[in-house]
Amino acid sequence: MTTFLLSLVFAFVWVAITGSATLHNLIFGFALSTLSLWIVRGEVGTRGYWRRLGRILSLLALFLKELALSAWKVAVLVMRPRMDLKPGIFAFPLTVDRDFEITLLANLITLTPGTLSVDVSEDRKTLFVHAIDCSDIEATKRDIANGFERKIMEAFR
Amino acid sequence: MMETLIAFVTALVILAGAGFALVAAIGLNRLPDVYTRMHAASKAGTVGSGLLLLAVGLHAGDLPTFARALAGFFFFVLTAPVSAHLLAMAAHKVGYPLSTQSVRDEMKGRE
Amino acid sequence: MTAADAILSYAVWLAFAVLAAAFLLTVWRVVRGPTLPDRVVALDMLTGIVIGFIALIAIRTGFTLYIDIAISLGLVGFLATVAFARFVLSRGTGGGAPRENPAAALLAAAPVKRRKPAARRTGGTGPAVRRKARK
Repeated sequence: MTTFLLSLVFAFVWVAITGSATLHNLIFGFALSTLSLWIVRGEVGTRGYWRRLGRILSLLALFLKELALSAWKVAVLVMRPRMDLKPGIFAFPLTVDRDFEITLLANLITLTPGTLSVDVSEDRKTLFVHAIDCSDIEATKRDIANGFERKIMEAFR
Repeated sequence: MMETLIAFVTALVILAGAGFALVAAIGLNRLPDVYTRMHAASKAGTVGSGLLLLAVGLHAGDLPTFARALAGFFFFVLTAPVSAHLLAMAAHKVGYPLSTQSVRDEMKGRE
Repeated sequence: MTAADAILSYAVWLAFAVLAAAFLLTVWRVVRGPTLPDRVVALDMLTGIVIGFIALIAIRTGFTLYIDIAISLGLVGFLATVAFARFVLSRGTGGGAPRENPAAALLAAAPVKRRKPAARRTGGTGPAVRRKARK
């Protein structure tokens, strides 16, 4: 049932993007999305889809907010007449351990204010993050752990 | 009336986007080393060109175009951090130094 | 010409001027360097600004097909940056010697293997020391 609804959503996205709202195109989009969902049926569990969708949307909202904030912060920083920076690289201990989640977290960190992920250690337990302002690292670490990392755990576990 | 309002919002989005691009370019020139410059390019720069794309969607005012513009926006927002991350990692592994203002480098010798 | 058209056309012209200034500043960073990653970051940024230009042209002319061009340019720019990152990694000479010669860099790129980080970092940070160590 949820697979059916998901295919329907995808079919509407297909119609919106291809730009011809005819019945034929809707049916074709539906067939296409059913096919692509069938191909990845082993990878995505479609159980608990709606609950998860809500959490993913909340992660997305947080992400867009942080993105706007970070662009603004960089702008303010750059336009300040005297720049006193304290840049540096700190090590962030990871709680998430799957590759997909680490990738997502690293991307999110890069687009948040003043931080840019540089590398993951070999054992996948540490993420090295470059921060433009290293005056209070513990607070930055706490923000990441309680913000994005927790939301990712909620959305994908 | 409605048309004027949409035009006004579009103009605002256009100017904001161009402004962010300019700020990113200024940051590229003022910041001290590669890593801090990446902050400017990957955040303000991405938001700048993303906003300009969204403005195209707003201006056209029909759903398919807007959906495409939105898809483009998300595409940029998702690829920019990946390329910044790769470049930062490559630069650090190869040993380009952080600026002398840097206060710490916990990654050194722990790769 | 309605009020809406007037607002839009002024905004687009102003944005063209601002983007042109941003473009020139970024080109200045490409020219000045001083290191290869600096130039790559600036080139990546140039692609972003050009995408902004394309979006403005789309608004001015009303051809929404320009969106697809902008998306493809974004894809090409992303792949180019990834390739440049691989190039930086494979060239394997850090330390940021000022004013590198691009032709020499290209020649040196293929055969040089990455050196061990420990060995690389013992030689101090100055370019002069590093150059001596390379010989």
